[in-house]
Amino acid sequence: MAYRYLFEQMVRRELRQKYKGSVLGVAWYVINPLVLMGAYYLLFGVIFEPQRIPDFPLFLMVGIVVWIFFSQSLLSAAPSLLDQGALIRKARFPRETIPASVVTVQAITFAALMAGLGVVCVVVRDTLAPALLLLPLLLGALFCFVLGVGLAVAVLHAHFRDVAPILSAALLPWFFLSPIFFRPEDIAGQPAARAALEWGNPVAPYITAVRDVLYGGTFPSIATLAYVLAGAALALVLGGAVFRRLQGELAVVV
Amino acid sequence: MTPAHADALRPGELRLEGASRAFSVRADRGRTLKEMLIGRRGGGPAPVRALDDVTLHIAPGETVGVVGRNGAGKSSTLRVLAGIVPLDAGTVRTGGQVVALLELGAGFGRDFTGRENVFLNGALHGLGRAAIEARLADIVAFSELGEFIDAPVATYSSGMYLRLGFAIAAHLDADILLIDEVLAVGDEAFQRKCEARIAQQIAAGSTLVLVSHDAGLVERSCARTVVLDGGRVAFDGPTAEGLAFYHRLMGTAHPEPVVP
Repeated sequence: MAYRYLFEQMVRRELRQKYKGSVLGVAWYVINPLVLMGAYYLLFGVIFEPQRIPDFPLFLMVGIVVWIFFSQSLLSAAPSLLDQGALIRKARFPRETIPASVVTVQAITFAALMAGLGVVCVVVRDTLAPALLLLPLLLGALFCFVLGVGLAVAVLHAHFRDVAPILSAALLPWFFLSPIFFRPEDIAGQPAARAALEWGNPVAPYITAVRDVLYGGTFPSIATLAYVLAGAALALVLGGAVFRRLQGELAVVV
Repeated sequence: MTPAHADALRPGELRLEGASRAFSVRADRGRTLKEMLIGRRGGGPAPVRALDDVTLHIAPGETVGVVGRNGAGKSSTLRVLAGIVPLDAGTVRTGGQVVALLELGAGFGRDFTGRENVFLNGALHGLGRAAIEARLADIVAFSELGEFIDAPVATYSSGMYLRLGFAIAAHLDADILLIDEVLAVGDEAFQRKCEARIAQQIAAGSTLVLVSHDAGLVERSCARTVVLDGGRVAFDGPTAEGLAFYHRLMGTAHPEPVVP
């Protein structure tokens, strides 16, 4: 781990650049999901009044915060290697420190949001239950999942410049198909659609599991838990393999 | 790939065996998925063979100048030795800490202070906080930046930028120093100081590989000279003969070439 300190330096650098030049600074990272939550509450909680989920704003908020971590991590990982092209062309160091630091910076913001949201959930929803002990494991698995996908996205975008545009185009429909403002189990009478939304979307089980614990105060199902852990392992292994396979030429392509 | 050698390299040793590397010459570097799916990109010039079956053994403590016309493969050789660009064929092996000066101040964050950039650059070479702190005073002294070390590098003059870049690289305890023409950009006092510092490191046992168009610098700093031409080693031997060969190759030889 000779390059541990490099990773630390990169995270600091990234954090500084992220918060620099913005009047609201850190507050922006709380305001953004709150604004989204407000809009979706109006749309799905007041205008459409769907399944009458109790404490709907909190229900929404958990999903939105997980989604923002996922999508913002991938969107900032994609161009990260190109942004650090000067470094990659001129120095030898483990290239994965670049996307890993970008995802870590997103995770720091995410952890802060989660801490605040966790307190609100526990108070409002009275979810101070044993299931809450599972939260660190779930968030750790989510981080590994996002890191694995982020590594692949970053190195693929360095080689094929249309990965980032494709990604940002895919994220919008992906958002609406993710169980953020609905529960897959509420889809009655259409088992195929329900299964697709519940298991076909790799982000869905993470949202469901975190919400089960934080908002519901219950343990996620064994299947969900297994999916979350296996997804994290698979993403890390596959993302790492893709990264190693394609990183050799980085100094030439960035 | 040749079979892996069982013996480990000594610190400061370099071995390039049958090294080949080609680069495609394109203005835009990345491809798009469409281009990959429909196969090769049409048009464009053929790839340039920057290194063509180059074998080079450099012993610890040797001082080697690499000369050749533009596009002869000098910088590619250095980037391969630095481990930044992989080979298409052949192997490259280096022993000990390799410090490459391909561009002074590469990777400086412009909004960060000189001091912060010292830490980032040290970390890029695998050093930890304690190791960098131990060198900080020497680096600051060498860079002659004084209190400017705590100002953002965006406010530096180009000379200050170069001094800091070199000061960092010169204090990383290199077993192998790879230098690409970077000294030519500073003023004379800076160049003299850098040369003196490099000589000091060589005296302490570092290996030097220097790419330069400055025959005088190669003559002063290097005992051995490699002349590259078209990605191949055209000459490899003592500097006096190597530079004579280089001048003949470039058509810039004296009317009466100096016979060694």
